[in-house]
Amino acid sequence: MPAAKENLQRVLGAFAQVGRVLSGRQIAGRNVTVFPDDVFLVSYPRSGNTWTRFLLGNLLWQDAPLTFSNIESRIPEIYFNPDRLMRQLQRPRLLKSHECFQPHYPRVIYIVRDPRDVAVSFYHHNVKARNITDDYPMASFVRRFIMGEFDRMFGSWRDNVLSWTALRKGTSGFLMLRYEDMKLDPGTALAEVADFLERCSFQKIDTSPQALERAIKLSSPERMRSLEKKEANRWVLTRETRADKPFVRTAIVGGWKSQLEPESVAAIELAWGDLMQNLRYELASTRSIAPASESTESSLRGR
Amino acid sequence: MRELGRLGSYLKAVTASILARTPAGRDLTVLPEDTFIVSYFRSGSTWSRFLIGNLIHEHEAITFTNMQRLVPFIYNQPDRILRRLPRVLKSHECFDPRYPRVIYIVRDPRDVAVSFYAYNIKVRVIPEGYSMEEFVARWMRANVVDYADRVGNWQDHVLSWIRLRQGRPGFVLVRYEDLLADPAKMLLQLAPFVGIVPTPERIERAVQLSSVSHMQSLEEKQAQEWITTKGTRQDIPFIRAAKAGEWRRKLPPGAVQMLEDAWGTTIKELGYDLARDSNADRELVGD
Repeated sequence: MPAAKENLQRVLGAFAQVGRVLSGRQIAGRNVTVFPDDVFLVSYPRSGNTWTRFLLGNLLWQDAPLTFSNIESRIPEIYFNPDRLMRQLQRPRLLKSHECFQPHYPRVIYIVRDPRDVAVSFYHHNVKARNITDDYPMASFVRRFIMGEFDRMFGSWRDNVLSWTALRKGTSGFLMLRYEDMKLDPGTALAEVADFLERCSFQKIDTSPQALERAIKLSSPERMRSLEKKEANRWVLTRETRADKPFVRTAIVGGWKSQLEPESVAAIELAWGDLMQNLRYELASTRSIAPASESTESSLRGR
Repeated sequence: MRELGRLGSYLKAVTASILARTPAGRDLTVLPEDTFIVSYFRSGSTWSRFLIGNLIHEHEAITFTNMQRLVPFIYNQPDRILRRLPRVLKSHECFDPRYPRVIYIVRDPRDVAVSFYAYNIKVRVIPEGYSMEEFVARWMRANVVDYADRVGNWQDHVLSWIRLRQGRPGFVLVRYEDLLADPAKMLLQLAPFVGIVPTPERIERAVQLSSVSHMQSLEEKQAQEWITTKGTRQDIPFIRAAKAGEWRRKLPPGAVQMLEDAWGTTIKELGYDLARDSNADRELVGD
């Protein structure tokens, strides 16, 4: 019976796909057309990407504030929009993606967030998306989160972060932002991004204190939450998810301290402690952890 | 012209999707038991496919015509067909976090450059006599041909897999040169990874059935039936020298220098010697 259902779904999926291809509404996703002047806004899920889209949208477009209704036509997410439509956007384009390292992305702004906070936020996100139930134990979720079992195509948090930092950190087309730094001082972070974008052939961006302040205000969690209330059933990301759970959540730093059990914290730190420390996330576990080094020259040879 | 190209690719996509023939490629459904033979282009992956295929399939020798069914290539067939085939698959993808088990084949990039240059003449991407230095410069910028450019340049490709998976279970790194030096020994190491209990006879058979001369004679017979070589220049073979160090004779010094300047650290990390180091040695001796 489940096999029959699966087959039916596959057949229906194939028909839907033919329809999308015929009408040119095929979702871009990983096969997005990349132009040499594109800038990609990349992160693991639940790492502040939507907030960054708001900040940038409100800085780059002074005509009307960014909302969930116009976000996809200004800084579209590649998983919800057809390639054909995105190709028609004004260039240079800013595109949102959650991919692991993509060698053909010419310029990348990468946002990283403390994986312990990501875990908490991703848990609620998966409840909202009906992937897990309300009463699903957080500890079980974290175990599966570490294995990269949710949104598998984006890899685990470690795969995603390390793939970009190991391959692109320190190169001219790559800017890394820490979510926590952005929360602490969004103005400085925004000015840094604006500077990067100007180097990436964007036109001069107004980074006067007034412009920065306007962008930050129009992207506050309160405003985003009230917009979500009005627009959630129209925005592609939230349309078919549980309406009783917000997409824009607490937007706080360090929420894991009260939300995660010590075992979950220890498990995350055991798996990714070295990478976390490289990114200046202080470990809570007192037990000394000696994770295997990420790349050792000796292990490449021989054996 | 560009619009015409768009129209062409649109029609191709529509036809493929109606016939359910869209090749899987990077949209492949990855299954938990899958094993992938991954490499950059021209790095010995077809040879590895023969070796590993002949090791796994005891009762059917690999040829260019049955290879598609026995050790499938993700770019030639649709997902729905691949789902029913043996799941040791060949891929040229840059790091993909979903691949659960990977045999990664790496080859000295200076030899890859020589081989890829010849290959691109064979498939008519560049004309005969094209400047090799110009080719290498383009190749390093991943600016040769779309399908290859998309997976990154050689260094991106290699580092993406090594930095993310080296030293973890489910990943084996194999140097093409080591495979060439002692294929039986390497196969013996790889056998458990593809779930085979190796016997000397089985290994011997796989090595024999994958020899360069055997593959060359198969190519002569089957080049027009194999999708990869069909319609390409038949005066240039797909199976080439299968040698290590050809670059010393074939690659202009300027190209060697470009490659070593850009990728020297990675080349050394993989255990290949740099020409600039041995040149320096020679000068010291000369003094």
